[in-house]
Amino acid sequence: MKIAVLVKQVPDMESKFKIIGDSKIDESQIAFKMNDFDEYAVEAALQLKEKFGGEVIIISAGPERASKEIRQAFAMGGDWGIQIQDEQVDAGDNFVVASALCKAVESLGGVDLVLTGVQAEDDQAAVTGVIIADMLGMPHCTNVVKIEVGGDGKSMTVNRELEGGLNEVLEMAMPAVLTIQSGINQPRYPTLPGIMKAKKKRLDVKKAADLGVAAVGEAGSKTKFVKMFFPVSDHKAEIIEGDPKSAAAKLVDKLRNEAKVI
Amino acid sequence: MARILVVAEQRNGKISDATLELCKAAKALASAMGASPAAAVFYKDDSLAKEVAQYIPEVFSVVDSKLDVYNADAYTAAAKAVVESQDVKGVLIPHTYDGTDYAAKLAMALGCGIVTNCNRCEAQGGAVVFTRNTYNGKIQEQRSVKTDKFVATFEKGAFEKEAAGGAGSVTAVTASIPDARRKFKQFVETMSGSVDITQAKVIVSGGRGTKEKDKYNDIIVNFAKKLGGEFAASRPVVDAGWTDAARQVGQSGKTVTPDLYIACGISGAIQHVAGMKGSKVIVAINKDPEAPIFNIATYGIVGDLFEVIPAIMEKL
Ligand SMILES: Cc1cc2nc3c(=O)[nH]c(=O)nc-3n(C[C@H](O)[C@H](O)[C@H](O)COP(=O)(O)OP(=O)(O)OC[C@H]3O[C@@H](n4cnc5c(N)ncnc54)[C@H](O)[C@@H]3O)c2cc1C
Ligand SMILES: Nc1ncnc2c1ncn2[C@@H]1O[C@H](COP(=O)(O)O)[C@@H](O)[C@H]1O
Repeated sequence: MKIAVLVKQVPDMESKFKIIGDSKIDESQIAFKMNDFDEYAVEAALQLKEKFGGEVIIISAGPERASKEIRQAFAMGGDWGIQIQDEQVDAGDNFVVASALCKAVESLGGVDLVLTGVQAEDDQAAVTGVIIADMLGMPHCTNVVKIEVGGDGKSMTVNRELEGGLNEVLEMAMPAVLTIQSGINQPRYPTLPGIMKAKKKRLDVKKAADLGVAAVGEAGSKTKFVKMFFPVSDHKAEIIEGDPKSAAAKLVDKLRNEAKVI
Repeated sequence: MARILVVAEQRNGKISDATLELCKAAKALASAMGASPAAAVFYKDDSLAKEVAQYIPEVFSVVDSKLDVYNADAYTAAAKAVVESQDVKGVLIPHTYDGTDYAAKLAMALGCGIVTNCNRCEAQGGAVVFTRNTYNGKIQEQRSVKTDKFVATFEKGAFEKEAAGGAGSVTAVTASIPDARRKFKQFVETMSGSVDITQAKVIVSGGRGTKEKDKYNDIIVNFAKKLGGEFAASRPVVDAGWTDAARQVGQSGKTVTPDLYIACGISGAIQHVAGMKGSKVIVAINKDPEAPIFNIATYGIVGDLFEVIPAIMEKL
């Protein structure tokens, strides 16, 4: 089974965010990590490989620093990878990035599955997997929390998560694109030998032009960025100041005598 | 006149609240743009189209036995047929499990731009500017589309529900609905457990900030017991197996409305907030003063939960 997993490097959301000129984030303050949902996608692919054999190819679009996350996926057990390192791809919208990722998948010459995360924690778009499925002419399923591949290795039963603990159980043929939801498995930690091996695994670095992606950057995008800002809430919590002990005492007093809920 | 079209959402024959919220949004946006609001309803008969016509002046109904249960291929084909036959300028879709499953596919079929996860939209000199959540709710972004048409998805709760009372028209639209490439088998319940946190008056909820299973159990469970309430969790805690799925609060878990909800080490992602924002009093304990949870809490303490919670317990 040949499985492509799309992995995105995103900021650690506990980093200190600063916005420069209404338009971008000050990266000097940011720590980066693998998108949470993508870790589950890598694990799901590795479990299928362990059962059916084959290979797991990691694909990512992002600047040089994003190779760290590809290597992390290698250390977990990914076989090899493609990094699309092109400022003009990064400058595009989801449609541009998905077009480039799609071409990278096509360059593999046929896959059984493409796995993505449900959404990227930074742009929270939740569109990339669906767009790629459409471009590849494959069926897709979003928010997947269970995959059971049939004995023939060609069809599968999939659980799609819905609101309030409900799942839709459905059957679909492969090849297909699945967007993987957190909790589907427990992603493994890279082992020390895994980390050593990861350094030597093949990572092809490509530009959009190498993959035949013509429309990039703002020109290739179907949406236009306007600005970014910190949310202004019309409601803010009453912050109880002081060291833990005095804040705790004030809070208990408020809950007892003001809100009367304890 | 150009139309702003809501694609309705149903499960088991029930129109979702998110659909009624978008009816409200479509009316406001259409009026600001000099367009007219409309909805598209896809179902096995026209009963739901008639129902939605109480909320919006014009409803386009696609009826097909293949539209009984939601399916991406079927919804894309049906929505495309309505958009292309009815002078539709923009399509509004709920940012829900079903909505996010086909919205981008519809945008591809229409060749237009898509903006997802929005919470506001405004007409600005001919263009529509969408405001959306990014970076787990820490930053808002504004985006518009460069194409003539647009598809946009909106967070649940971004608008108030439109009230019933109107008598809109229902027009049948014919669409050729393809056989679904994914075959629906059944719906299954995955979170029924021994405990029902929805009945609790006091809930102490722990998030990823509780760090590990033993610490979650030690601090959150004991805090809840001391208050005579139930303990609950955000999704990452359940994903990691620190507690039961029946205790998960949020969009994919339980919706709770206790008198007191104490969120400890929970950032306040929209999917979590969806399940607890109806609580009477919300307390947030978080070491990050910029955590979005402080935007919905009644009282907040900025600090380390491992210091703050024991200090509170001493005072109880
Ligand atoms: C389709 C979908 C459905 C989802 N459904 C749900 C759902 O039902 N419920 C749900 O909860 N999530 C759900 N999520 C996930 C959601 O988007 C967030 O990822 C999740 O809610 C984050 O959980 P958290 O706040 O515990 O963790 P994080 O976002 O990682 O936040 C941890 C917080 O702990 C704080 N912290 C860390 N250490 C300490 C300390 N020592 N003291 C005090 N504070 C500390 C940090 O400042 C941070 O704010 C869903 C996501 C998707 C895409
Ligand atoms: N630049 C990227 N490189 C690799 N994968 C990506 C990239 N952007 C998005 N993806 C994949 O698409 C998923 C959904 O992202 P999004 O549609 O941006 O929310 C992510 O979880 C990744 O699996």
